[in-house]
Amino acid sequence: MEKSGSIDSLGSKRSSSRQPSVDSLSSTSTSRSDRSAQAKPPSAMSSDSMSTSAEFSPELRVKPKTAVKVLRDSEKEEPQLLPNETVQDMAQDITYFCPFTGAVRGTVMVTNYRLFFKSTDREPAFVLDLPLGVVSRVEKIGGASSRGDVSYGLVCKDMRNLRFAHKQMEDTLRKSIFEVLIKFAFPVSNGLQIFAFEYGQVFPENGWKVYDAISEYKRQGIPNESWRITKINDHYELCDTYPSTLAVPVNIPDEELRRVAAFRAKGRIPVLSWIHPESQATVTRCSQPMVGVNGKRSKEDEKYLQAIMDANAQSHKLFIFDVRPCVNAAANKKNGGGYESEDAYQNAELVFLDIHNIHVMRESLRKLKDVVYPNIEDSHWLSNLESTHWLEHIKLILAGALRIADKVESGKTSVVVHCSDGWDRTAQLTSLAMLMLDSHYRTIRGFEVLLEKEWLSFGHRFQLRIGHGDKNHTDADRSPVFIQFVDCVWQLTRQFPAAFEFNEYFLVTILDHLYSCLFGTFLCNSEQQRLKEEIPKRTVSLWSYINSQLEDFTNPLYVNYSNHVLFPVVSLRHLELWVGYYIRWNPRMRPQEPVHQRYKELLAKRAELQKRVDELQREVTNRSASSSERAGSPTRSITPVQTFV
Amino acid sequence: MLTGSKTTFKVRQMLPDIKERMLSQSGVNARSRDVFGLRCLPGECVLQRAVMVRKKLTAREGRGWLSGTLFCTHFRVAFVPQDSPKPDDNADPVLLGDHDVALASIDKVVVVGPNRTKLVTPNSSLKFTPEELVLYCRDMRVICFLFDRLTPDAQVIEITYTIAKTYQPLKPGSVLSFQNAALGSVEMKQFLSNRRRDTHMNWFESTSDWEQELERCGASGWRVSSVNDRFEMSTSLPRFIVVPQKVLDTELKKSFSHFNEGRIPRWCWRHPRGSDLLRTASFQNNIYHEKDDIRNLEMILFGCQSSLCVVVELGEELPSPADIQLAHSRLRALCLGDISTSVSVPDDKWLSTLESTHWLDYTRSCLRKASEVACLLRGGHLTVALQEAEDRDVSCVVSSLVQVMCDPHCRTQRGFQGLVQKEWVMAGHRFYSRINYHRDNDKEEAPVFLLFLDCVWQLWSQYPSRFQLTEDFLLALHDSVQLPLFSSFLANCQRERCKRSQNHGQSYTPVNGWRDGPHPDSSSDPCDPPLPPVWDWALQYSKHRQDRFTQPVPPSPPLQPLLNGNLNTNPDTHKLTDTIPGSVFLFSRGTFSCPANLLPWRSTSSGIYKKSHRRAPSSEGVPSLERLLKAWALTEIPQGLTSNSGSQGPLDPFEPLLPVLMGPCMGLWKECYLRGALHAQAFSHPISANHPHPVERLAAEVQALKDKLSQASAGPDVKPPIKTAERRLTDANLNQNTNNGTFLFPASRPHGTCVSRVTAPPTSTNHQHASSRGRPPTTAAPSRSSHRDNSSKHTFLFGHSSSTEARPDQRYHPAPNTAKLPKSNGSVAS
Repeated sequence: MEKSGSIDSLGSKRSSSRQPSVDSLSSTSTSRSDRSAQAKPPSAMSSDSMSTSAEFSPELRVKPKTAVKVLRDSEKEEPQLLPNETVQDMAQDITYFCPFTGAVRGTVMVTNYRLFFKSTDREPAFVLDLPLGVVSRVEKIGGASSRGDVSYGLVCKDMRNLRFAHKQMEDTLRKSIFEVLIKFAFPVSNGLQIFAFEYGQVFPENGWKVYDAISEYKRQGIPNESWRITKINDHYELCDTYPSTLAVPVNIPDEELRRVAAFRAKGRIPVLSWIHPESQATVTRCSQPMVGVNGKRSKEDEKYLQAIMDANAQSHKLFIFDVRPCVNAAANKKNGGGYESEDAYQNAELVFLDIHNIHVMRESLRKLKDVVYPNIEDSHWLSNLESTHWLEHIKLILAGALRIADKVESGKTSVVVHCSDGWDRTAQLTSLAMLMLDSHYRTIRGFEVLLEKEWLSFGHRFQLRIGHGDKNHTDADRSPVFIQFVDCVWQLTRQFPAAFEFNEYFLVTILDHLYSCLFGTFLCNSEQQRLKEEIPKRTVSLWSYINSQLEDFTNPLYVNYSNHVLFPVVSLRHLELWVGYYIRWNPRMRPQEPVHQRYKELLAKRAELQKRVDELQREVTNRSASSSERAGSPTRSITPVQTFV
Repeated sequence: MLTGSKTTFKVRQMLPDIKERMLSQSGVNARSRDVFGLRCLPGECVLQRAVMVRKKLTAREGRGWLSGTLFCTHFRVAFVPQDSPKPDDNADPVLLGDHDVALASIDKVVVVGPNRTKLVTPNSSLKFTPEELVLYCRDMRVICFLFDRLTPDAQVIEITYTIAKTYQPLKPGSVLSFQNAALGSVEMKQFLSNRRRDTHMNWFESTSDWEQELERCGASGWRVSSVNDRFEMSTSLPRFIVVPQKVLDTELKKSFSHFNEGRIPRWCWRHPRGSDLLRTASFQNNIYHEKDDIRNLEMILFGCQSSLCVVVELGEELPSPADIQLAHSRLRALCLGDISTSVSVPDDKWLSTLESTHWLDYTRSCLRKASEVACLLRGGHLTVALQEAEDRDVSCVVSSLVQVMCDPHCRTQRGFQGLVQKEWVMAGHRFYSRINYHRDNDKEEAPVFLLFLDCVWQLWSQYPSRFQLTEDFLLALHDSVQLPLFSSFLANCQRERCKRSQNHGQSYTPVNGWRDGPHPDSSSDPCDPPLPPVWDWALQYSKHRQDRFTQPVPPSPPLQPLLNGNLNTNPDTHKLTDTIPGSVFLFSRGTFSCPANLLPWRSTSSGIYKKSHRRAPSSEGVPSLERLLKAWALTEIPQGLTSNSGSQGPLDPFEPLLPVLMGPCMGLWKECYLRGALHAQAFSHPISANHPHPVERLAAEVQALKDKLSQASAGPDVKPPIKTAERRLTDANLNQNTNNGTFLFPASRPHGTCVSRVTAPPTSTNHQHASSRGRPPTTAAPSRSSHRDNSSKHTFLFGHSSSTEARPDQRYHPAPNTAKLPKSNGSVAS
């Protein structure tokens, strides 16, 4: 990114015009602007600017005929502000130290949503457009240097660091623009509102309607003879981190649920996540049992798990997947937690999946950032990558999910999944297993439902893990659990390129707006909090934006095989680093050939040929209808040509 | 999975029996067909067979299992799937079926029994009944057969022994018997002798072949010299070499002694901007340079460019053959993960172990060097001479990579084959020694050619749509290297090849072939079978597999290069500033220099040069040369991009494909090295990771549509279609075609049934489809769809399975373009 041509993590984006380079999260129009414009027919440009939400692509408004004109246009260019976005401060003569292209001088504008840097000394202008939500830390580097410069470093949540400098203020009373920035980058710490609450964009689609618990359970066939839907948590009294609608075994009355809740950490009782449409084997999730050092037992909990097992007639066994390493699970006994003993739970088999905790993951991602940003050491790239253990963690998570999916699909056995609290690793594993098992979740809307259900409604603590608008960057509760999950999804899309309706850009967009605080989707820690804050009423859902322009997020190679279960190869030999996300800021990584463009060309070509075939066919039908004595029945629409195997 | 008998056999007792059987079998007259459906080659006979065996299919084959019969002959291990169509006895013999493996490719035979694995050697005995037979191949395939419990135990044991005894690993002399097993019969010899060569590719065997290449490249000022016609000047150079027009043969003859092995600078290729690419061995230093010699040497080296010559030294930065060999053997050990020894690199050490093989480093350094040379050539009007001590290893890699990068012709299958002929086969790469077929010369062994194929694969994976050839083609070539059957690889230079073919009349020999009498000391036995060239793909690959060697739609036009701070991606290269005529620079380690002793005759020690040429080496030209390579800083956009190029006129198709060489961008050729992938389990999704590049698949689909279109448009006009078989497409038939809804699949239906179906109701459409799906599609279906029918019914991109979950009504819909977003001021209420 840094440099002509915008981030282009994907190259997927149809863009655009030759715009000044934009370094922005929100560049919906990411792309190698320099040349894709030329490779593209002019019609694409115009349709582009129409179809892309303008908020995300200020640069799209430029539709220059020639490059020279772009440059001139861009000189006047300021970011197009979002609804209710207001300029807070502007400053001239700021130096941005780009790690790839060297120092750039330019102007900075800070609004209540973004930082906008635009070079004044480069042609075409270098632009950096950064939602303040991605800023994790702002630090003043050193004091005033000998040259009288003050330097600021911005550590970002999305795998990059930015460094700026400006002259020492003559007017000592005046605040540096970066002091202003701090205020708006960490609104929560400064008693301000997160921008999502002010952003008033209206989209044709309403993303808050994507997920409805009752209808999702209904899609799965719940309630049925073994499972019922309970309203016991309607006011979040049973468990304040759970959703209001829960699916539980039919023969456990609500009073007993309360007693089970008392035995599970934070009251997170085992509830249904997914049920196999044929075998009725289920995936249930919960938190750790409060066994403690004394090995406490709970009759109700034991009965409850028995009920889960009995709900599946196919198997007389129940697998409990404790996703933690055995040692960690045992260590939790000190704090009253622990794991199910196989003595207490008849017919249950306990399996540890050896996935490490949020702190290990945070550290691993930090190391990964060191390895990929800003410079990559070519000769030791692989061993450096190995030393971060990031891919190994990815492998363990995928392997765990694979075991769960395999038990449910092949073993027809119900499984219970938990970690300590059941909102981090548990969410990763249940949602990945569900993605493997159920092709519905591999569609765009299905994936949105999956996130809404397994992550948002079941209380993955996004606010805490990401630290939206919070300046406390050392908070030990922060962890890239969700990123890791999206990485795993990406690995699946690599292994099954035609099994997912969404493309890589969809995943990157989700991660970008995980931090941007533009949408309300990832705010707060639980459904209860979201309701209290009236998030759906006061903010816009990310799905509103995405579902309003699905064509940008659609995988052209998608084929809907509805009954296929995905069993990925989880060997490290077949996993890859997600270069398109982690190393997207490095301009040297950009490939020369935008394969996505080729997809689109071929698809267009295919559609065009298809049309001609249809036309010719119609012509033939007409001709034969008029010429031959008996026209026969009209041609049944020949399904658009499918090349059958 | 297997519940086979666990009985332990007293194998030793069985041994004589096997021997007997082998003897008696080999005495049996050759049958062209075995009763179980194996079509034998003439003279080939089945030594042993096992029924009810299952073969594990790789990802590329669609995964899963295929049951059938396993055979072992003197030449191959063959597998015939249960319901494969009956072979056509009259068809030309095909050496290897889709599921066969030649004995010579087998590296190791391993059996897996209950709880144990064992490496089987000719002398080993089995104490258990194998459940699985794993063949580790030298081309890095791993082929796995599972013995069903229905396979008679005796058959299991015997075929294992037979294979172990017959494949004869690592023995000098086994190659010849292998060749004889494959090609030795009278019928085969006859067949091969009558075989026609592919006339669509350039074989670089005759003067006219070279002249054709000169013409193709527009290289004027060069001529084809036959001064080496009898290999008297240089034994390793081809008979014809391309030299500057102005140098006469008599003058040329004096130059050979100045170069190692007599490999003087020869022309390889001309860039459309006028630069020439030359290859040369290093100079012989201890030779007295006469004045006339010097003039000639300079002329040869500068070729047609008078001003500037860059000598690119390859030896220093690129891996030596020994390095390549070491890296490859490590890579091989790492990727194959040998179950017999249970030595497999743990997953968490995979990345660092892969790094420590240095294989990827070597591919990178070759690609980098080739990119640099490509950028130099683009500068125009200079001569680039690739210099390697012997000019027979990495200079083959670099010179051919440069051409793959710059010349779209070399990215087609035929063009690439010509390139390999030119830069490897004819140029005298020592295939025979480097592959070490006889296992008698380990010191020389080095898979230099495989390194080159890996480099091409890297380019292909970064620019898939700019190649007409596909990964399948590269794989086929990769695998063929290990088969000691092809004249292309079974010699170290053309001279050896000529000698050999001399013994076999005119088979595969050029028209104006070698005229000397056979050498009495000839290493090849006069009764050797004639060897085919590797390019005769029909000998190895069925038609449908050959179809996958190329992309059906033409490669896409070049795009504006993206300035990503890598090597010079600026399309608008600076013209070289005028340099003093006769300047020579050395390019080494990324920098240009002009050392005094670069050209030995110009160095101070030989005084003659100074007298006649007063020029001193000058470094004036260095900056302009450096500019050719300079990566465009990401800060400045060159004029070419911002203002004029691009929209005006098409891009130069000869712009080199410059690969991104950063660590994360160098991929491992998993399709090749991890094919055996014991750790990759079979899984059930129809569309799995390891299929042809999606771009290729889309391309195939587009082509299939085009084909249909041409058929369709041929229809209404009642034009006689090209194929005579379709002449019957008369008006009546046409109507009926339409009404049946199979209009698009005219050939998928026997014509005989047409008439009777004229009044068929339209509802028969689906039946027609369904029924036509079961058998292998004929012309209408795309070529690359053809996996085994019973294994992967739904590997085609938009195709649908014929299994139960097939939903012909669900298919890809292009994203609706109605979902446009309003501008921010849009008033659409939600």
